[in-house]
Amino acid sequence: MSAPHRRTLSRAGRRRLAGIAMTSPALAMITLFFFVPLVMMLWMSLHDWPLLGEHHFTGLKNYREALHDTEFRTAVIFTVKYTLITTPVLFVLGLAMALLVRHKRRGARFFQAVYFLPVVVGLASAAFLWLFMFQSDIGPAGDLADHLGLGSRTTNWFAGSTSAMLVVIGMVTWKIVGLQMLLLLTGLRSIPTDAEEAARIDGASRLQTFRYVILPLLRPTLALVLVFSVAGSLLAFDQFYVMTGGGPSNSTITAVYEIYRASFIKFQLGYGSALSALLMIVLAAVSAIQMLLLRSSDH
Amino acid sequence: MRTRTTAASALLMSVALLATACGGSGSNTSGSGSGTITLWARDSQKGFINILADAWNKDHDTKVKATVVPVANFVQKFGTAAAGGSGPDVASIDLVYLPYFASTGVLDDITDLANKLPYKDGLSAAHRKLATYNGRTYALPFTAEASVLFYNKDLFRKAGLDPDKPPANYAEIISAAKKIRALGKDIHGYAIAGQCGGCEIFEFTPHIWASGGDVLSADGKKALFDTPEVTDALTFYRKLYTDGSMPTQSKTDTGTNQPAAFQSGKLGMTPLGAFFVQVLKKDKKVDFGVAPLPGRNGGSASFAGGDEIAVTKNAKNKAQAHEFVRWATGEQAQTILAENSIVPVRTDLIDKIYTPLDPRYKVLAAAMEKGRTPYSTVENALFNDNNGPWVNMINRAVFDGDIAKAQQEGQKAAQSIIDDAS
Repeated sequence: MSAPHRRTLSRAGRRRLAGIAMTSPALAMITLFFFVPLVMMLWMSLHDWPLLGEHHFTGLKNYREALHDTEFRTAVIFTVKYTLITTPVLFVLGLAMALLVRHKRRGARFFQAVYFLPVVVGLASAAFLWLFMFQSDIGPAGDLADHLGLGSRTTNWFAGSTSAMLVVIGMVTWKIVGLQMLLLLTGLRSIPTDAEEAARIDGASRLQTFRYVILPLLRPTLALVLVFSVAGSLLAFDQFYVMTGGGPSNSTITAVYEIYRASFIKFQLGYGSALSALLMIVLAAVSAIQMLLLRSSDH
Repeated sequence: MRTRTTAASALLMSVALLATACGGSGSNTSGSGSGTITLWARDSQKGFINILADAWNKDHDTKVKATVVPVANFVQKFGTAAAGGSGPDVASIDLVYLPYFASTGVLDDITDLANKLPYKDGLSAAHRKLATYNGRTYALPFTAEASVLFYNKDLFRKAGLDPDKPPANYAEIISAAKKIRALGKDIHGYAIAGQCGGCEIFEFTPHIWASGGDVLSADGKKALFDTPEVTDALTFYRKLYTDGSMPTQSKTDTGTNQPAAFQSGKLGMTPLGAFFVQVLKKDKKVDFGVAPLPGRNGGSASFAGGDEIAVTKNAKNKAQAHEFVRWATGEQAQTILAENSIVPVRTDLIDKIYTPLDPRYKVLAAAMEKGRTPYSTVENALFNDNNGPWVNMINRAVFDGDIAKAQQEGQKAAQSIIDDAS
């Protein structure tokens, strides 16, 4: 009796140990690269902490200043505007492309690969590529606009705040939409074909099938894609840093850009940390709201 | 298993220790064992810094090892390394940042060394002023730069202008630019780098100085962005833009288009520095002249740029590092600089080692000798920041046109940066 009993115990113990063993590398990584910096950032945000020299505790002073910082407010408003434009564009195009390549028709694989290709280019490289393409006098985009009668070779696309933002959004769409397509495609493929067939047999039109069958079943994927997309846009930095440098006249400075400026231009690491903490809170709240909205309602 | 967790906690501990070291005065971890001096320089200096290091290494037992850091983030890299205790023994620093670094205590006080130099009064005055903080000296002048007006002699001839008589006030520049612009659709009269703080402080401030104004009070405590001399200079740039003499790229140029446009031969005039002489001479494409940057009604001024060379507080090899910075201001080192088209900082030697090399160097040497530099511990946030108040004021005034409002808001933003720091 006792021998098998002991064996089950040790098996359970072994399983537990194996569990710890398998999760500990991930835990260690998360602790090292997320929790430790996070705690440090929160600690620094409570100090007047210059890049060089003495730091001292100031409590919530940085946060109070941040709430009255007009430059940061302008940056946040711009970031929200950018997110509100980018998210639907990416989503609609991504979904349309996913629907196009969903069925295993001839050529579907090919287009799937073509749409996905820009995703494997680094964001900074893609930004430099587009910066060159839209450079007045030398960029091919100016040539194209000239031939189509939309503009001239000498048009400086980055001189207007709207046109500068549109060029950046164009680049981001080209670069990211393939990833959204891929995510939505896996969602679409996981919908059982029986459900669609049943709807067809009941006489539902293509649009009705999409609206009442596909879209509701796609909900978990939609949540994932939207959270990704919104978080990515709210954290935008590289594309603006490379392509517009925040210009013209500081009209395209994002929240993260402002954090960068506070920390590494003005050398106020403590204040930069406070701005980061605020941004993190907003981001967590926005993501949570999205998850809630897309999870329950009609279930 | 136990060993794994122990290892993990040991790792965490070491990270925590590292983290604390970042904030305090950590030990120096740079690889400067006995017999080497580590030297950091900007990538714009890579053409000569190793030649200089080789010259030193030839007759010294202690070897200098130069590391080139990208210019765009030199301040951040040096700042973080110095704060973490992993900085170099010696650093060549853009002189505008000297007051900041001196004020934070990362540089070694070398007042005695500086005072003992027999040629101390022959060193560039602007450099000496910037290296002084609270009456103590923290660096020695190393390389000089001066902003001047470059003009294309071929385009001057074609436009019916005298290539040997460059414009000497705002009105003459405006009219010359207009005549050159009229030469062709893709030819422009005058270009600036409208979204580059480092360029604008270097190229635009001399106009204000030459007209009798300034951008900061002498003690650096007051911004003077809303003064009439600044208004005049902004109006001058604005006129160049509304005349169509300035290309549209100027508004968003972060400093890459402006020299390239002049090199292509399609630009009449542009304000740049001594380094550009070398670039153009290598090109052999443009027949160019060099003239001082004028004020509203004549006169001239120049921004004294360049680098200072400093020993860091945590330097391992301090005695040798001191010897090296002293040597860097000596005749041998300064001659090497001049031979590599760098303006030397020794005004007592300049006619011997620099000006004979090219007739245009005379203008640069004169510009350097009377060059000025704004003194502020927040220079980076005020002027060099591409999104800072200085760039923003110029950009909005010149390209959007509301000069008074741009000045007023620029003044407010600049003053608040100064007040926050003190």
